[in-house]
Amino acid sequence: MGLLGRTWFEFTGWLAAVLLWLFFLQGQVNWWQPAVLWALFLLLYLVTRGCGAHPGALPFVAVLVFCGWIFLTRLDPSLGQGHFYGALLGSAFYLFGLFLPAPRLRFSRLWAWGAVVLLGLTALWGETVGGAKAWLTVCGLRFQPVELAKVFLVLYLGKGISQGRPLWELLSFVGSFLLLSAWQRDLGPAVLVFLVFSWLVLQHSFAWYKLLGLAGILLAGFWGAVQLFSHVQSRVLAWLAPWEYLDSKGYQVVQGLFALRAGGLVGQGLGQGLVHVIPQGHTDYIFAILGEELGFFGLCAVLLCYFSLAFWAVRLLQDLAGAEQLTGLGLTLLLHGQVFLVVGGILRLLPFSGMTLPFVSYGSTSLTVQFWMLGLMAGLSRGGGAERCAEPS
Amino acid sequence: MRRTFLTLAVLYGMMLVGVFYWQLCADLAHHPANPRYYLVFQRERGSILDRQGRVLAHSASFEDGYQRRYAAESLSPVVGYFHERYGLTGLERLYQGELSAGRSLLTTLDLELQKKAAELLQGSAGAVVALRPESGEVLALVSLPCLDGNAMDENWPDYLADLRSPFLNRATHGLYPPGSVVKPIVYAAAVAEGAAQAGETWLDQGLIQLPGGAVRNYGAKAHGEITLDQALAYSSNVVFAELAAELGPTVLDYFRRFGLGEPPDFELGGHQGSVPEATLSTYHAAQLGIGQGELLVTPLQMAQVAAALANGGVLMRPFVVQEVRGGWRLRQITRPTVLGELVPWTVAEQVKRAMVLAAQEGTARTKFSEQFSYAGKTGTAQLGSVPDHSWFIGFAPPQAPQIAVAVVVEHGGTGAEAAAPIGVELMFQAVQMSE
Repeated sequence: MGLLGRTWFEFTGWLAAVLLWLFFLQGQVNWWQPAVLWALFLLLYLVTRGCGAHPGALPFVAVLVFCGWIFLTRLDPSLGQGHFYGALLGSAFYLFGLFLPAPRLRFSRLWAWGAVVLLGLTALWGETVGGAKAWLTVCGLRFQPVELAKVFLVLYLGKGISQGRPLWELLSFVGSFLLLSAWQRDLGPAVLVFLVFSWLVLQHSFAWYKLLGLAGILLAGFWGAVQLFSHVQSRVLAWLAPWEYLDSKGYQVVQGLFALRAGGLVGQGLGQGLVHVIPQGHTDYIFAILGEELGFFGLCAVLLCYFSLAFWAVRLLQDLAGAEQLTGLGLTLLLHGQVFLVVGGILRLLPFSGMTLPFVSYGSTSLTVQFWMLGLMAGLSRGGGAERCAEPS
Repeated sequence: MRRTFLTLAVLYGMMLVGVFYWQLCADLAHHPANPRYYLVFQRERGSILDRQGRVLAHSASFEDGYQRRYAAESLSPVVGYFHERYGLTGLERLYQGELSAGRSLLTTLDLELQKKAAELLQGSAGAVVALRPESGEVLALVSLPCLDGNAMDENWPDYLADLRSPFLNRATHGLYPPGSVVKPIVYAAAVAEGAAQAGETWLDQGLIQLPGGAVRNYGAKAHGEITLDQALAYSSNVVFAELAAELGPTVLDYFRRFGLGEPPDFELGGHQGSVPEATLSTYHAAQLGIGQGELLVTPLQMAQVAAALANGGVLMRPFVVQEVRGGWRLRQITRPTVLGELVPWTVAEQVKRAMVLAAQEGTARTKFSEQFSYAGKTGTAQLGSVPDHSWFIGFAPPQAPQIAVAVVVEHGGTGAEAAAPIGVELMFQAVQMSE
């Protein structure tokens, strides 16, 4: 039994345990959804392996998606349903990313224009939900363009930086992205994209003046945002002094910490947490809910899944070079940067920026785009670098 | 790529440390803004039982959760109450950990006696404490007016407006001048220190002139030539003032030895009261010897005095919870503990004899004196312009005491008028029940 068999054997056992719990404790749940997802992930795994790409990320993603599905179903079965359909759509995007090697396409500036146009359209005709003007409806389909736009931008940046495009061009695209995000009062993606951009620039050719300049821009931008936007001020105050704003700005942060503390070492158990007191518990703050019900051990397992994805991605990137490597690195950083901004925000390591926890949080656009990114990454391992990543036989 | 990987490893390490800190180290469980704290009010908790297993408090299932119900209103000073808005007190608070884990408490209380004591005291403000002398078990602990754990919401505004302060647990924290109920201690001190001999007689002319002032009997009554036992039975201020004047500061040592002015060793706590540091003059000592002056005591302390005298001078530690049971842990049993031998057995027996005389023909005589034998001592704490506080301490039956009581009725008049009938009827019921 090789690595493939063992991975799937273990994963199936885990899934069976979850299903048993669903059958015996929560008879009303759609039991067929996890079964379909399981079959779907198996299919994706086989297809990925079949086409010569490295499928090692899929079991971890499967665990994360199932975690999300279980907790969303536990919060509200209709949320779980949404997550399920998001994962179905995401699978299609995964295959799309796998077979259409976007980073290898020639017209890279088109991606950048796509990102800017998407955000521009949102700024003009977007809908406001929950304080941020972040939704766009196209042909009856409502989605969050910023999720798509940040991948577009990273696809452009990877190619653009490696081709040595002038700095003013890179900066003007990134700058317009930041300004349009700020216009929509949605600063999480802006920070994330700027961090990824900085990293890629420094990765391509390191220089101290670049590092200092980018850090300066980051600090200046942060200072400006605090001066300009009241919601940024609130976030910063909620980060620095949540106990002084227990029932206003700091409420979410403080309730998240209470939930984490209530989890302790082994957690309260599935369905036993006091989950409905946390605002945005199904999207931004799902990590705290996981912490309350699964405990320290559970969160260690979740963080380990993400870290394994990072490990997988870095091993894959080692075999690549040039634009492909830089693009792949950008996509990897986009994923893990988001994990760090969200989890770090909940843990008060930095101000909370209000984004989804990849693969776990509710949010179909986000989930679909994460799948697409994963598909692109797996697609990069096709061809040139596949041999070294393939499982040892 | 190596640097990228190391950086990501550091970031995940930071997250792991953060999760470790917030999940396992941060002190947040009891933060007042933590809504989990209030969950305890909706969950089922263990019952509180009396000494015979009768339910004093239990969680009754309610629309969405459980609500605490109590067997009697008078239980709130000892069992406490448990309410989402008003918090928790008494045993509910002391044993919160055990009760919320589903364990139940077997107390030493007797529900019938508790109800009887409350019924007898009904209409007055005051307190009743009944102990079992040989073990220190608390049989009843009543303080009126008190809160009704079953109807907190309805009555809360009334409680706040009530000038008689229903929030005060008079049995453990009510401070009263003791009046003549301290005379048994002075008696014991005089006999133990050799200041008085058995058979010695005293001339009581109703008034004694001491350097610094005169001490008068209640109503300035002259008892003539009397023995020490008669002096206690008729509560002669003259004789006890003379004894205390002779004993001087030693009388304060005996007060402290009997627990007055000392914080009680009791799980529900209690006020220490006050006993002056030193006697300032002969007259001062004489005043203290008849329970006047700066003395302040609680009913619990006086019940301990009665219990110690009943138990041959040995004071047992009072306790309410005899057993914590249920759950997966072992039973937790409280064993009776000796707090100290306060006076020799022979001295205690002499005091007992005098208190029996008081019950037969002295101030502690009641309509029950014919029906059963008991020992008692009344007290009248003179307050001047307002009606006096009425005191009674006693125990029964004298040969093998099963119950020792202390009763205080605020502004009840003399001890014989208000407190003695309550205390004696309670003891009568206790003796009847045990037969």
